[in-house]
Order: sequence, then structure tokens, then C-alpha cells
Amino acid sequence: MTETASCVHCLLPIGRLGQQREVNGEALAFCCYGCCLAYQVHHGEREEPEAARLLIQLGVGAFLAMNIMLFSLLLYSGTFGATTSGSGDPTTLRLVHWLLWILTTPLVVVLGGPFIVGAWRAARLGRLSTDTLVTVGVLAAYGFSAYQVWHGSGDVYFDTVTMVLILFTLGRYLEALGRVRAARSLAPMLAAERAEVRVVVDGLDTIQPAREIQPGAMVRVLPGERIAVDAVVIEGRSECDEAVLTGQAEPQLKTAGAPVHAGSINGAGHLLVRATAAGTATRWIQISRMVREALARKSLLGNTVDRLAAVFIPMVLLLAAGTLWFWSGVAPFEQALLTALAVLVVACPCSLGLAAPLATTLGIGLAAQRGILLRSGGVLEKLARIKAVAFDKTGTLTEGRPQVLQVSAHDASEQQVLYHAASLARTSEHPLAKAIARAQQTVGATAASEVQARPGAGISGRVDGRAAAMGSAGFMSALRWQVPAVWPATPQGCTLVYVGWEGRVHGLIALADRPLPEAAAVTKALRDRDLAVLLLSGDREAAVARTATRLGIAVWRSELMPEDKVGVLRDWTQRHGPTAMVGDGMNDGPVLAAAAVGIAVGGATDLARESADIVLPEHALANLPWLFELAAQVRRSIRINLTWALGYNLVALGLAASGLLQPVLAAGLMAGSSLVVVTRSLSARRGLALPSADRAAVTVAASA
Amino acid sequence: MVLQYFLISLAGLAGSVHCVGMCGGFVCVMGKDPRGAAATLRRHLIYNLGRVTTYCFLGAVAGTLGLLLVGHHGEATTVSLAQRALAVLSGLLMLYIGLQFFGFFRGTRWRPLGFGADHLVFALRQLVKAPGAGAPLALGALNGFLPCPLVYAFLAQAASAGGPLPGFLAMAAFGLGTFPAMLAMGGIGLWLRPALVRSAAPALAVNVASDGGGSGALPLRHDWRQHSLRIAGGFIMLLGAITLARGVLPMGVHLH
Repeated sequence: MTETASCVHCLLPIGRLGQQREVNGEALAFCCYGCCLAYQVHHGEREEPEAARLLIQLGVGAFLAMNIMLFSLLLYSGTFGATTSGSGDPTTLRLVHWLLWILTTPLVVVLGGPFIVGAWRAARLGRLSTDTLVTVGVLAAYGFSAYQVWHGSGDVYFDTVTMVLILFTLGRYLEALGRVRAARSLAPMLAAERAEVRVVVDGLDTIQPAREIQPGAMVRVLPGERIAVDAVVIEGRSECDEAVLTGQAEPQLKTAGAPVHAGSINGAGHLLVRATAAGTATRWIQISRMVREALARKSLLGNTVDRLAAVFIPMVLLLAAGTLWFWSGVAPFEQALLTALAVLVVACPCSLGLAAPLATTLGIGLAAQRGILLRSGGVLEKLARIKAVAFDKTGTLTEGRPQVLQVSAHDASEQQVLYHAASLARTSEHPLAKAIARAQQTVGATAASEVQARPGAGISGRVDGRAAAMGSAGFMSALRWQVPAVWPATPQGCTLVYVGWEGRVHGLIALADRPLPEAAAVTKALRDRDLAVLLLSGDREAAVARTATRLGIAVWRSELMPEDKVGVLRDWTQRHGPTAMVGDGMNDGPVLAAAAVGIAVGGATDLARESADIVLPEHALANLPWLFELAAQVRRSIRINLTWALGYNLVALGLAASGLLQPVLAAGLMAGSSLVVVTRSLSARRGLALPSADRAAVTVAASA
Repeated sequence: MVLQYFLISLAGLAGSVHCVGMCGGFVCVMGKDPRGAAATLRRHLIYNLGRVTTYCFLGAVAGTLGLLLVGHHGEATTVSLAQRALAVLSGLLMLYIGLQFFGFFRGTRWRPLGFGADHLVFALRQLVKAPGAGAPLALGALNGFLPCPLVYAFLAQAASAGGPLPGFLAMAAFGLGTFPAMLAMGGIGLWLRPALVRSAAPALAVNVASDGGGSGALPLRHDWRQHSLRIAGGFIMLLGAITLARGVLPMGVHLH
């Protein structure tokens, strides 16, 4: 299962060339040498001799490198006599050269070792990696210098070897730091699998892994702690931040009896809670698993980059060989060698490999901060290419439950109509009945007796001793109750319920499912992004038309079975380009899976079985335009990074091949390019993160 | 010329008491080698070798940079003007740092220069316990990069020294000056170990104010430490004044 394994340090997926390192009996996997390095620098508190090994190598490498540079500086400044012309003391000069050789040899082993090992591993898989370039360059310069010392002729380039190794090590370290920063916002999601809880057994607190928690366990939560179990509050009072799950920054008040969710952060109060679900069944741990899987999937452009690198590296090796051949014809061999070395060093496509993963990891992290889960980084790239968005109606764009919109009365007051309707409705579980019962809580109602319900038609019974009924027109006709012919106009697309008593219909209640308050703004924002918006619903034509008109959606299809939706979507995709589908995860499974990007809103209880690419938390439809913006930003960021890295490599290659670039300068430029890609990617997040002012406002409002 | 290096060494000797705050922490925790006193001494010598190497390297780099910045000795007048300007700058910086040792400008932190030092200190902590000869060498070499006003003062001196060799020599003299105290700290650390271990976790005593991390570790020797710091400050100011003089005095009165 190397496919889904992620690096201990940066949480990004480990490719085939990952590094394994045993620390304190625990096998740790790193995606690259840089992460290995950074992890050990940052995890010093464990005092393991094994963990310190790399640092010792680094320190000893630094010691050797500083000596080499020191002597090289003195050499160049003419302290030991002029370098080539022989005006200085030749014996001293030779001695210094020998000393440099003696110092460089262990350095190549210590600092060059990881690169050589990496190149060797790639070679065994029949591949060439960036390590190959460094290794070939460094060994060539080292070998040539050693040859020069042995024959006592000319200049040596041990300082070049040293600087290239130091700069590349530094570059790898910087890359690893950048990756960690990119994945930092994912940390709360990924913490689930290693979370621990304070279980209270016989009045004593014991620490246990959250995975082992069974329903019914009593758990103590201290102020500021992250709650690791789905539970109900038994004792205490606190405000919990559930942003990881819902994306909402406002803390929720929790008192005895209130449910708390794994992943939320406890506020200032102590809580004693009882687990309601097993530790392995919380939504938090599902989210954690999903985020991990998302990180492990390569982005689309990332794949392209890999293929590109596979062509690029052999080309660079060829170019370096060509450079060496060409320049050795027109210039001294030493100069030809240095030029070829510069080519090798400057072409190292490190920043190329960095461009896509950094941007997508940032994207996944930013989305996760709002409770939005992505299947993979590639989803963002797909989302950026979407041309149309299809919505499901009920429960997605609407509240998903009917509301009483209008009450009309005939020979009676509206109060009376509602009173009778509500009395009957209180005995029923039908959504329309529930809506009527909800609407009439102020007047009050008695429970009807002798209630008889005819499914899909109506309900009859006795209210205060009088025969009463409500239902469709057909139901009233079946009862042979008189229905007045003329009614005030009702809003288009409503469901109509007739209410009557004592053999006669006295009222008409119009009900409809209302669009969510944010729905209009969301569809408008999407249209403003030049996306076509569709409405696909299983509901009746009138109801769908009503919602579509109110939301300004021009294209709608009604009375569709789930399979029909798939057909309509395929059709539309063929004619108008990739289409995203937004629906609730339960009923819209097939169509979500068929869409270019399936977006499930809320109610996603079992994330693992979701067929959606993106899961929005409940009541988070408003985040949809932001998500499209994020996708566009991520794609832009990857593209700019790639263009930059490629262009940079090509220009630098040209300069190097024409002999205008010193190898040390080339190595410096290479480290610089990684730095630029990292800073660029990280700065791209600023515009998209929740504006800090908003957060402050939320906090102030919450504490007020 | 030789007198100047001697002065630098003396300043290093006196100033190294200041090192108790940060470097001393490492030295004390590094402690005794189980294989006996000779091995312990070797361990500490290797550590100091690593540390002084870093100083020497920094000195040579500073000297080279200074040279690149202002050009060679005694060339055209504009160049010598630049050299004088560098000397004035270095001298002023040294005077400033020297005054800090007397307790002036306490508000100044060397934070920007110590960028990343937190990470470095964190990383170094796992090296102090590691066995083998490589660990103390690595510890020393990386330790040398920790932000320290003493080092900055003499780097300023090295930058104005006029080349990699004088820069290297200046920092070597300083490094050698700190040798005895750092070795002694190893010894003192072994006696005072129980008291020290508590507070020796190398707190970032970047500020020069002498009430940094180290004084808590050695409460009885507070006065003694204070005096040494003043002496070091005095030396730094003297050297700073000489460097400054090279910049402002007429050509003929060159002090070396």
C-alpha cells in the first residue's frame, strides 16, 4: 500500500523513491531527503541517538565544508601564492590541494551520500532522477580535481563540489519546510488517527487511543482540548468550535445533554461526556482518512510533470555531455568540465516537481478549513475546467421541507382553517402535515380523534367532536364534501391542501418548498463566473419551474428519476462541456458519480461510500462560489509555477551551456528557484484564506 | 598588528564568560564521557574545534566580503574612502556592542540576525547526548552559527580587516580566546551539574543583558560574571575605537 502512504513530515504522498528510516523502533517513511532532514531537525526532543545521526552528518559536513571554503578563500586571495602561474611556493600549494582533497572526500560521502543513494535507487528502477544529475555533476568535478591533485597540475574544484552539495542540501531542506507549511492547515483533520482521550474509569482518568473507544465510555475533556469522540455531554458547560466539521467559526454552546462531535475544540469549560459512537466510526476519523487519501492521489498536472521530468533528465544529461564535448574542443578541458557541471546543476528540475503538489496541498487544506472535503488534488483542477453546474432541487437549493405560504378561507376565518388543519396534522408524520403543524404553533390545536389517513390523498377525523378532513381535491370529492369553486390565486408551483369540516370545504392551504436564503446569491455568483446553471429535479414541473424562476435558472428539467438525471447530464456535458453536479449524497449517488465533478451537500453521513468528489458540510452551499475561485487559483498557481520553473530551467540551461554560468552560481540559482516556487505557492493562499478580519469579527461576536 | 590579535584574544577570553548563557548550556549538558577524563577532554576539545572552525570560516567570509566591497589596500582614493567608511561602520558597531556589555541599549534584541536560531537550538539539543566523536564536532560547528553579539562584534572587525586572511586570523584569535573558558565550563559543569541541568536548557539568551539564562545557573558567581562582561565590553570598545580611528584619522597615523 505504498500508494496511500504519506510522508511523516510533510504529509504528502510518498512516491516510489521514498526514504525509510527507523527511529526508535518505529519505521518512519519520508517522501524525500529534504523531509527526512527537516523532520530530524524539528523533532529533537526525543533524544534518540538514531534521530541525531543525520544531524551529526550535517554538522560534520558543515565542519568539513567550512574548512574547504576557508582554505579555498585563502587560496584564491593569493595567501599561498598565485594559484596557477607558479609564482607562489609550489610545495605549499600542493600541500593545500592535498588538504582540500582529504577534506572533500568525507564530505562527498556525508553530504553527497543521500543524493548518491537516491540516484542509485532510481537507477535500479531503471529511472533517472534529479539526484542522478547532482551525483553525476559532483562526482565528475570531484574525480577531475582528484586527478589534478594526483598529477600536481592546475586548479582544483573541491570548493565547487562543496558548494553544490551544501546548496542542494539547503534547497531540499527549504522545500521540505515549504511542504510542511502547505500541509499545516490539514493537521487538525489528520490528527484523528493518532488522537488520545482521557477515559474516566472508576473515578480515575486514563489516557487511551481514541480508536479504542467504545460507545458508553465516559470521557473527560479539558478546556482547549480537541474532542476525539462523538458523545453527549453529561456534565459541564462549554463552547465548542466545530469548524473542522462544519466550517463555521462560531463556537457552539454545549450543556448537559447536548451532542459534541469528534474533531471540535472544547472552549473554556470542563466537560464530562459519554461516547455515543465507537472511536473508529466518528465523522472526524472518516474525514481524516479521506483527506489522507486525497493527498495520496496525484494531481493531473502532477502526472504530466512526472512524465515531463522523465524526458527532461535524460535530455539534460545528453546536453551536458554535448557541452563537454563542444567546449573541450575550443577551450581547456577544465573550463569544458565546469561548463558541463553548470549545465547539470542548473537543470535540476526540483522546482518543477514542487509546483503542483504545493498548490494542491494548499488547496485541500484551505477547503478543509471550511469543512469542505476533496477526494483528491486533481478535483480542484477538474473544477477549474467546469463549464456548467447542475443542481438538484430539493434539499440542495431548497430547504428540503415544505412551508405554508398562504392560507385562504371560505365562510370561516383563517384561524379556524389553520386550527382544524393543525389538529388533524398533529396526528400525522407526512411532511405536509408536519409543515402545517409547525405553522400553527401559536393558535394551538387539539389532537383530533378517530383519525383515518389515506396515504397520498388525505386525512380525516374528529376535531372537538366535529367531523373534519384535509387533503387533495380528489380526497374531498371522494368524501362527497362540497368544494367552493372560486379561490384566491395561489403562488405558482405550490402544493394545495383543502381543509373542511361538517361536510364542507372551508379553507385552502398552499405549501411550497422554499429556496435556501443563499441559493439566489450562489446561482448568481456562478453565472457571473460564466458557468451555465441547470436545475435537475424529480419534483413536479410546476414546483421546479417556480424554484428555477425565483433563482434565475434558465434551464430546468423536472420529474426525473435518478437514472434520467444521469442521461440529461451526459447529454448536456456532450453539448456544453464538463458539468459539475451538486446534490445531496444520498439520492443523487449515480448522477454525482457520472458528473465531471460530483459535489455532495450536507447529510453525508458515510463519507466512505460517497460517490462525490467534493463533500460540502450541511448549510454550506454559500461556499460553492468560493470553491470555484479556489480551484481557479490553484490552477493558476500551478500553471504560473510550472511556466516559471520551466522557463527558468530553459534560460538557465542556455546560459550554462554557453559557458556563462559558474557551477556554484548555478547551484545557488537552483536553490533560489525552489525558494521562489515555495514562497509563491504559500503567498497564493493569503487571498483565499478566511479573511482575518472576518475571523476577528466572529470571535468578538461570540464573546460578546 | 600582533598586539591587535592579542587584544582580540583577551576580549574573547573575558567575553566568553558571556557564553555561559547559551553555549555554556550545551557544554555543561555534554558532560562527562564514561570512558574517563581523557575522553571527556577529547570530547570538549573536538566541540571547541568545531566551534572555532565556524568562527574562522565566518571571519574569512567577512574578510572576503569586506574586500570585495571596498577593493584592495591602497588603491585609488575612492576605494580607500570606501574602506574608511567600512572601518567607521565596523568601529561604531563594535562600540555599540561593547556599550551593551556595560548595560546600555538593553532594549535592542538581535532577533533579526538570530533568524532561525530557535530551530537551530532545538536541533542542537539532540546532539549533546549523542555518542561518538562526530556529535561534538557537529554540535560545535553548528553552535558557532548561533546568534551572539560577541561574534557579531568580531565579525565586524574581520570585515574591515581587509581580506580573508586577516579576517580569518581575527576570528581565530577570538575563538582561541574563548577556548579556556569553554573548556573550564565543561569542568565547572560537572560539579554544578545538578543545579545547572535545570536551567541550562539553552534558553536563547540573545540579548546582551547579563541577566540572561546563565546567571540563574550560577547565582553565587553573579558579580564575577558581571565584571568579566564589563572587561570584555572594554576590550571590544577599545578594538572598536582602533577600527574607528583607522577610518577617521589621517592616512599617516594608521595604527597597523
